[in-house]
Amino acid sequence: MRIRTELIIFFLIISVVPLSAVVYMSYDYSREAIRDTVMTNLLGATENSGNAIDNWMDVRKDDIRVISRSEHAINTEKDELREYLAAYESEYQGVYEEFFLLDLDGNIIFSTLNRTGNASKERYFTEAAKGKLYISDVTLSEITGYPGVILANPVRKNGSISGIMAARVSMENLYRILENIDIGKSGEIFIVNKDGDIIFHNNRSEILHKNINNNFAVKEVTYEKNGINEYVNYKGEKVLGSYYWLPLYRWGLVVEKNIDEAYSGVFNLERQMVSISTIALIAVVLVAIIISRRITGPIKSLEEGATGLLSGNFKPIPVSSNNEIGRLTKIFDDTASELLEIRKKLETKIDIANKDLEQKNKELIAANEELKKLDELKSDFISIVSHELKTPLSSIRISAEYLESEAKNNPEVQKEMFDIILRNIDRLTRLINDILDQSKIEAGKMGLQLERADIREIVNAVIEYNKLLSLKKNISITADIPGNISPVIVDREKLIIVMNNLLENALKFTPDGGSIVLSAKDDTDNIEVRMKDTGIGIEKDKLEKIFDKFYQVDSTSRRKIGGLGLGLSIASGIIRAHGSEIHVESDVGCGSTFSFRLKKAGK
Amino acid sequence: MNKDTIDDKIIELLKHDGTISNLEISRKLGISEEDVKTRIGNLSDTRPKVLIVDDEMDTLLPLKRSLEAGDYIVVEALNGQEALNKVRNEIPDIILLDLMLPGMDGYEVCSRLKNNALTRNIPIIMLTARDDVKDRVKGLEIGADDYVAKPFNLHELKARIKSVLRRSRNM
Repeated sequence: MRIRTELIIFFLIISVVPLSAVVYMSYDYSREAIRDTVMTNLLGATENSGNAIDNWMDVRKDDIRVISRSEHAINTEKDELREYLAAYESEYQGVYEEFFLLDLDGNIIFSTLNRTGNASKERYFTEAAKGKLYISDVTLSEITGYPGVILANPVRKNGSISGIMAARVSMENLYRILENIDIGKSGEIFIVNKDGDIIFHNNRSEILHKNINNNFAVKEVTYEKNGINEYVNYKGEKVLGSYYWLPLYRWGLVVEKNIDEAYSGVFNLERQMVSISTIALIAVVLVAIIISRRITGPIKSLEEGATGLLSGNFKPIPVSSNNEIGRLTKIFDDTASELLEIRKKLETKIDIANKDLEQKNKELIAANEELKKLDELKSDFISIVSHELKTPLSSIRISAEYLESEAKNNPEVQKEMFDIILRNIDRLTRLINDILDQSKIEAGKMGLQLERADIREIVNAVIEYNKLLSLKKNISITADIPGNISPVIVDREKLIIVMNNLLENALKFTPDGGSIVLSAKDDTDNIEVRMKDTGIGIEKDKLEKIFDKFYQVDSTSRRKIGGLGLGLSIASGIIRAHGSEIHVESDVGCGSTFSFRLKKAGK
Repeated sequence: MNKDTIDDKIIELLKHDGTISNLEISRKLGISEEDVKTRIGNLSDTRPKVLIVDDEMDTLLPLKRSLEAGDYIVVEALNGQEALNKVRNEIPDIILLDLMLPGMDGYEVCSRLKNNALTRNIPIIMLTARDDVKDRVKGLEIGADDYVAKPFNLHELKARIKSVLRRSRNM
């Protein structure tokens, strides 16, 4: 893992753990506090409203008591009573829908709405007839259709009940009282009766048409309990509801507030806490990044420097601080520079060594090639020598065997066989001499017995040796040497070998009817000897090789020509031993010229 | 002119006129009287015919003499091309083939003969101064029937010729 990541994680842990603990604790505490406040407020508002309803109803009760004690009511003075009641009606606009007076039989004997009828079956009549104020359940008015209650109070004349004074009070006025309770946008206030029927609601159509005794608060309040709680209401909404029982009228006042709205403070707090925590977290991460960058930046530079050093493109790392890392960077830079210096030196040395090696390798390859060639030459040598030795041996053997077994009585055939044997013994001798000469030349042990010699005499002798062959091939050999030519200092026998080898060679490669000219002439200190033939010539690229031992210009010509391929090599070796060299010029198809110089004999 | 047809023509002439002289035949066919004599001799000869192929006259001559003395008819060739011609014309019973020949070498001659349906069955004994195992194997692989290294013992060579001939006749 990178140090930076580790540092960031470390900072996060040491900052986030206490931060979240503090945030959570304060959030928890504040939430409880807010909830308590909200509940207390709602409960208080409900109780206050309940009290306000009580007070208002008390005023109504006082009114009906006062009216029932009035002279006009006691004496049933209808016109005066109407006038008197009109004052109440106008004073409490819309509160009283109707005042009416009942006799003891329940007959309506007076009504502000001039209504008649009998109410002896009504509970308010029977209860009031018992001698005390009675408030009826909420009913819908027969006349206006609005919900209302009837207050009934006995009228006493001289101590005994003479009739019942009743007033129908509209519930509409309660709206003004209850509108003071803050229920928010989605809250609801309603009053239910003992059975759970709605008797007061903003939606008037539900009044006495809807029973909601399955609502938690309604259940509680109809058990005559007061309180506050969170529950799911009859609409399926989660609400905070407070309820208050008004025992005098058997009413349950219920105020419900949407729980989210009620606790909006808590949610605000939650949001704030989350924002604060988030901001704090981001801040911590930023700080961690900045700090870790400060710490890891130089380390990273060091790492890059080290990688660069490994891969060979090192650049000095800038020292950014004076702390431990800064000092380490400085040391690293110095060490790296030193290493590079050493490396450069080493590379130079290696380069030199490599070049040396390459050179040596080339030399070795060349030497190896040379060895291979030598090896090939050796194989060739063995093969050629064995063939050249075995062929005459074979002839000798067959001839001898034949002589032994068959040819005893035929002198002609005997002579033929002896000739073959002798010829092949000569051939073997020549071969062996050639090989010995060659090995002497190679070993540098060619001993020369120098003497004064006449080149003319030597040339003529050599021509004589080859006369038979030249006649056979019809090749003319001429000597072109001045009579007064200077004598030379040579090993006579060896020079004869040289001339003989050259002439044999020329005869081999000159077609029938050709010519060979042997010439010699005086030079300042030397005699120049030349042999020119009209032979097949030698190609330029092969000129250099013809003096190599065993070399044959055309290997397939070997059998036609015969021999070991040592002739020119031996000739060249002998001339070199005399301190000179054989030169050759040649035109393919026209002929070749061999030439060399020999030292003049001193006078 | 093909010599094979010369033999045929000689036979034809003899059939036509039993009293015709050698000189007359030689004139009619444009060859020497000596040749006619040899041919007529050979035509009635039942001795095995040996073709010796060697460019060394000094080897070829004593070998020829001793084989002739040992009841063989000997035909000779000095190089590869001549050997092929002789085989076609003389139809020898056996060939003694030197390997180191100028121009076409012995291996080439051997493989040409062994690759030709007409000459495939003529046994070949290779004669050579080379006697590496490598050379022997190469010779035998291209179809030589035997291999004799120079310098060889004449008795041994004769024995081998007999043995190879016997084998080829039994085939």
